[in-house]
Amino acid sequence: MLEIKNLVKAFNGRPVLKGVSLQVGPEIKVVVGLNGSGKSTLLKVVAGILPADGGQVFLDGKEITSLPPEERGMGYVPQRPALFPHLSVRQNLLYGLRGKREDAAWVRQVVDLMGLGEYLDRRPAQLSGGYQSRVALARALIPRPRAMLLDEPLSSLDVAIRQKLWEEFHRVLRLLEVPVLYVTHDREEAERVGESFALLVGGVVQEVDSARQAFAALQSGVSA
Amino acid sequence: MRRNLVEAVFVPLFLLLVVFPVVALLFHLNPEGIRRTLADSFFWMSVKNTILAALAAAALSLFLAVGFGYYHLFKQHSYFYRLANLMNDLPIALPHTVAGLALLLAFGRKTMGFLGSTGLAFTLTAVVLAMFFVSYPLAARALAAAVDRMEKELIEVARTLGDTPVEAYFKVALPTMGEALFAGFILAFSRSISEFAAVIMFGGNLPARTQVLASYVFTKVEEGELGMAVTASAFCILLSLVVVSLLWLGKVGKQRA
Repeated sequence: MLEIKNLVKAFNGRPVLKGVSLQVGPEIKVVVGLNGSGKSTLLKVVAGILPADGGQVFLDGKEITSLPPEERGMGYVPQRPALFPHLSVRQNLLYGLRGKREDAAWVRQVVDLMGLGEYLDRRPAQLSGGYQSRVALARALIPRPRAMLLDEPLSSLDVAIRQKLWEEFHRVLRLLEVPVLYVTHDREEAERVGESFALLVGGVVQEVDSARQAFAALQSGVSA
Repeated sequence: MRRNLVEAVFVPLFLLLVVFPVVALLFHLNPEGIRRTLADSFFWMSVKNTILAALAAAALSLFLAVGFGYYHLFKQHSYFYRLANLMNDLPIALPHTVAGLALLLAFGRKTMGFLGSTGLAFTLTAVVLAMFFVSYPLAARALAAAVDRMEKELIEVARTLGDTPVEAYFKVALPTMGEALFAGFILAFSRSISEFAAVIMFGGNLPARTQVLASYVFTKVEEGELGMAVTASAFCILLSLVVVSLLWLGKVGKQRA
């Protein structure tokens, strides 16, 4: 269980998160919001990449608010795949195992599900955008994180490839049965990937029943 | 076709102020000067001192620049980073005689007297330190610029995959900055081989021992040996062209890769 309590974050005195509270069980919770609403900031604070100005983050009952990212055990997939360009796909995928004896069956399962088997010895620059996104997700999953954070991981791809990857991402993210926080501003992506939904507006989060309800609220907020 | 104002002003001024002095120097090359210089063992010792000391200074510059790059990436709010950043600009604006004097007072007889009668001063080590003092900022700036250009998500992802900041810097950031590391080394090397004032102040101008090409040229001019000074200067130009070519080749290689 990932529990976020009253999280606060400001940049140069401008509040971005004004007390975000959220609970995520072993499910894919999609957080929707407009551009600039603080979605990426929320994920970065939860991941420990940015320090929180206030509030708490708990993972499996343990407070992790002050832990650095390397000690949180969370998988993170940013908007751009951010594959390590000097390493092969294989080295990228195994990076998070940090030389530990790899769970070969698990690695093979992730690699097969993402269709990466024939690309393992290639460099990231030799892959298409879609495969780069697959590698980014697989790389975050392979160390078996205790939670996954995905920041619009498909936003840099064109629509046709995104649609193809929604099902794939949903299927693979369910493998671990850990809390997944998935940020997007694409309605169809939210519907196809998400299992529960929340809306980030004005620096606070409110849970909603469906992606449709979230986007309806967003639209009414925009027109208001 | 009519030239515009910029072309009409820039081209003749550039030719007069930049190209003409080099041409004038090369024009004064003469066979006697070349023969006598190439037969002078002090010339070859100054070449050796210049290249060895500049290589050592460039290596030391790069070593410290890698440390500065780490602070630039992770610790920009620290007081030490602010101090280091300020000090990076100092040698650029500071007269290099002042830099040489500062080094002399810091590492000379008074503080390092136990190493010998002059401390570190007037040794090849002093030449290296003088070169380093003026060339390190160039290497540090090259690394800092590369850190600024780098995709920051690489570091963020590396951290979530278990890397400490130091691990992420050495395993992810530095390997993606090969061109900047090379450029930093070459810039520091080229700045080092051209240094004169700081080297003279701290390293002295002892033939065969601490004399470098720049001070060899100075000595020959003082002795009225213009032909030898011109030959040594032409050698300096050749060396500079080699260094600039290396930098250019590095960039071309990166573009083709």
